[in-house]
Amino acid sequence: MIEVLISAAVLASMYGLVAIGISFTWASIGMLNLAQGFIFTAGGYTAWLFAQYAEVWGITGPALSVGVLILGMGGSAIAGLLVGSVAFLPLQDRANFRTRSLIATLAISLIGTQLWLIFFGPQNKPLPPVFGEGRIEIGAGGISYQQLGTIIVASGMLAAVIFWMRSSRHGLQMRAMMMNPLGAAVVGVSVRTTGMRVLAISGALTGLSSVLLAQIFFVSPTSGTQPLVTGLIISLAGGLGSIPGTVAAAGLIGLAEALTARYLQQSLVPFVLFGIVVLILIFRPRGLGGLLEDVRE
Amino acid sequence: MSKEQRLVGRRAYRPHWPVNSHKVFKRRRWPGTKRSMLKLSGRYNPKTLRREMVLTDKKPLFWSVGLLALLLLPLGVASDRFFTMFGIICIYAAINVMWTLIIGTAGLQSFATLATVGVGAYGAGYLSVTYGIPWPAMLVVGALLGGVMGWLISLPARRLDGLYYALLTLGLSEFMRNFVTQSDALGGKFNGALFGVARIVPSDLLTTQLGQSLLYITAFIALLIALAVFRWVNGGRTGILLRAAATSKEDESFASALGIDFNKERTRVFIIASAMLGFLGAFYATYIGGTSLQIFSLDLLLLLLAMIVIGGLGRAEGAVVGTVIVVGITQWFTEWGPWRIVLVGALALASVLFTRNGLFGLKEQIQEIRERRQALHRAAITGRYAEYLPQQAPDILDKSQIVGRVYEKSLRERLRSWINPDLIAEHEAKPMGQHSDHLERMLNYFRKAPIPDKYAVYCEVPFESYRVVALSGLPGVPPRVVDDKVYPTLEQAYHAVFLRRVNDLRAS
Repeated sequence: MIEVLISAAVLASMYGLVAIGISFTWASIGMLNLAQGFIFTAGGYTAWLFAQYAEVWGITGPALSVGVLILGMGGSAIAGLLVGSVAFLPLQDRANFRTRSLIATLAISLIGTQLWLIFFGPQNKPLPPVFGEGRIEIGAGGISYQQLGTIIVASGMLAAVIFWMRSSRHGLQMRAMMMNPLGAAVVGVSVRTTGMRVLAISGALTGLSSVLLAQIFFVSPTSGTQPLVTGLIISLAGGLGSIPGTVAAAGLIGLAEALTARYLQQSLVPFVLFGIVVLILIFRPRGLGGLLEDVRE
Repeated sequence: MSKEQRLVGRRAYRPHWPVNSHKVFKRRRWPGTKRSMLKLSGRYNPKTLRREMVLTDKKPLFWSVGLLALLLLPLGVASDRFFTMFGIICIYAAINVMWTLIIGTAGLQSFATLATVGVGAYGAGYLSVTYGIPWPAMLVVGALLGGVMGWLISLPARRLDGLYYALLTLGLSEFMRNFVTQSDALGGKFNGALFGVARIVPSDLLTTQLGQSLLYITAFIALLIALAVFRWVNGGRTGILLRAAATSKEDESFASALGIDFNKERTRVFIIASAMLGFLGAFYATYIGGTSLQIFSLDLLLLLLAMIVIGGLGRAEGAVVGTVIVVGITQWFTEWGPWRIVLVGALALASVLFTRNGLFGLKEQIQEIRERRQALHRAAITGRYAEYLPQQAPDILDKSQIVGRVYEKSLRERLRSWINPDLIAEHEAKPMGQHSDHLERMLNYFRKAPIPDKYAVYCEVPFESYRVVALSGLPGVPPRVVDDKVYPTLEQAYHAVFLRRVNDLRAS
C-alpha cells in the first residue's frame, strides 16, 4: 500500500507540474498552450546536451545534478518564450485569439517534434540519475532516492512558485491578470510582458517535470505527448486556472493511476483516468477548482 | 450561397446563356428530393432584352471539375506512386470532410476524429482477422462502432464549453494507443499492428494495374460518400439551422427560439459524423489490408488539423483542397524526410497567423482589404477636390452638375490665388480693352456669373452720375441699389463693380 501511495505521489508531482503550467497560461493570458509537449522535450534535450558536455568538462556529482535540473528548466523556459513570441505576441490582440492560438501551438508542436527528430534522431536519450541510486527502507516498503527526490524537488518548486506569486510584485501582476485581464491592463499591467513571463515560468515548471520524468523514461522526440495529454486531463479536472484544484486533481489522478496499475491492469489506466475526468466534468463542468470556489463562498 | 451583385465596383462573372422563352424550362433535381442540381435563375438580359438563364452558384461546377480531375489523374498516369498518393488523399479528405462536419456544422471542437477512425479500423480489422468476416460486414461493423463511440464521446459535450471539450478529446487518441499497445488481444505481436484483413479487391488482382485502379476507385467512392453525407447533413434543415445558430452570439437560445433542440441536433450530427468516421476506419483497414498504431499518433492528428486549417476551417472545399496540398507535400517530397512535415507545420502556422480562415477565406479577406483601401483613397480625393464625388451624392440625378461644381470650386481657388494689388491697379488704370492674361480670365469668370444678384452699372445721368446696382433676376422686379455712392465716370463705376466682385470671390 505504501508503495502505491509513493508511486501515486511521484506521478502526481511530475504531471502536476505540467498541469499547473497549462493551467497558469490559460488563466492569465487565455491561451491553451498545446505546445507544452514541445517545451517538455526542449528541457529534456537541453539537460541531455549539458550532461554530454559535462563528461568532457569533468563535472560530476551534485554539480552535475544541479546543472541538469537548472538547464532543463532554462531550456524549457526559452522554448516557452519562443512559443509565446510565435503564438501569443502576434495573435494576442486579434479576433478569435483562443482558437487561433490553440491551432498555432498545435502547429508548433507538429514542427517541434520533427525538428527534434532531425537534430537528435529517433533514439531514446538517457539522462544521468540526478538523485543518485539507492533506497531507504521503511518498514514493509521502501522509497528510492529518485522517488524521494522527485517528490521533494517538485513540491519544493511548486511551493516556491506559489510563494513568489503571493508575495512579489510580479506575482501580484500575474494574479491580477488571472482575475481580470482587462482591469489589469487598465491599471497598467502590461499584458505582453506579463504574458511572456507567465509562459517562461510555466515553461520552467514543465522543464523540471521533464528532467524528473526522464529519470524513469527517456528523452525522445515524442516523449512530450504523454505528459501533455495527462497534464491536460489533470488541468481540466482541476479546473483551468485554479492552483489548489490542479494540485488536488494531480493527487487524485496519480492515485487512480497507481491503484489501477497495481490492482487492475496497466491497459485499463487510460480508461480509468478518462472515466474519472469525464465524471468530474459531468458533475462539475468547471472542474475541482470550481468546486473549491463554491465551498469557499 | 451566392452573394448579391454589388452596384459599384467589380462584379463577379456569372455564366449565362440565352434560352427559348416559348418553351417551359424543366429544373433538374436530385432523384427523390426537391433539391435542384444547379442554382439557376431566369432573367431578361439588360442589354439585348432576350430571355436568358443565369447560373447563380458556380460551386457545383468547380466541384465536378475538381473531383473529375481527382478521379482521372491517377487513372491516366497509372503509376504506383500516384495511386498511393491519391488513395491517401481520398481517404484523408473523407475523414477531414467528416471532421469539418463536426467542427463547422455541429460546432463541437472535437479532436476525437482519429480515435473514432482507429476504433472502426481496429474493431473491424480484429473481427476480420479473428473471425474472417467479409469486407461488407466490416464496413457495417465499423460504422456501428463509430456510432457507439460518437455517442459515448458526445455525452460530456452537453456539459462542457468548446475549449474544455477540445482538451478532453485531444487525449483520446493517446489513450486508445496505450490501450492497444497494452491489451493482449490486439497488441503484443507486431507492436499493435493488424495484418491480413479482408480486402475489397481480391489480393491476386492487386499486383496488376487493373487491381490498383479498382482499389483507387473504391477510395474515390469513399470520398464521394463522405461528401454526400456532408451535403445531406450540412445542407439539410438541421444543418442550416445549426449554422444559422452558430453565427449568432447567443447560439443556444437563438436555436431554441428557431424551434430546434440545439443539443439534441448537435449530438445527432456528431453521431452521424462519427459513424461515418468509423466506416472510413473500417474502409481504411480493408484498403491497406491491415492497420497500425500510426493511426492513433498525435502527429497524424496534427497533420490532419493542418490540412483543415490550411484549407479553411468549416468548409468542405477547404478540407479537400487542404488535404490535397498537405498529402501532396508529404507524399511527393519523400526524400526531404522530416523537413516536409516542418514545411506543413509552417504553412499551418502561417495560415493561422496571417489569414482569417485559411485558403478559402483568403478571397473575402483580400476583398475586404481592397475595399478598405478604396475607401481611404476616396476619402483622400474627397478632401482634395470637393465636398461631393459622384458616388457620394445619390440625390443629385444629373451627375454633370456635380462635376461642374467640382470644377467651379477648383477654378475659384485658382482665381483667388491671383488676386493682388497689381491686378487691381491694372484694372483701375484701364477697365476696358485688352488686359493681362490673369485679369482677362478673372473677368471672364465674373461675366458668366448667374443673373440673380449680379452687379451691374446703372446710369442716372449720362456722362455725369453712375451707380452700382444688383440685378434681381426676376422679370418685372427692378434691380436694387447697392450703396449711395455716385460715380462721375463709367470707368470708375466699372471699377467699383470689379472691386465688389473681387470681394465676393475672396469671401467665397
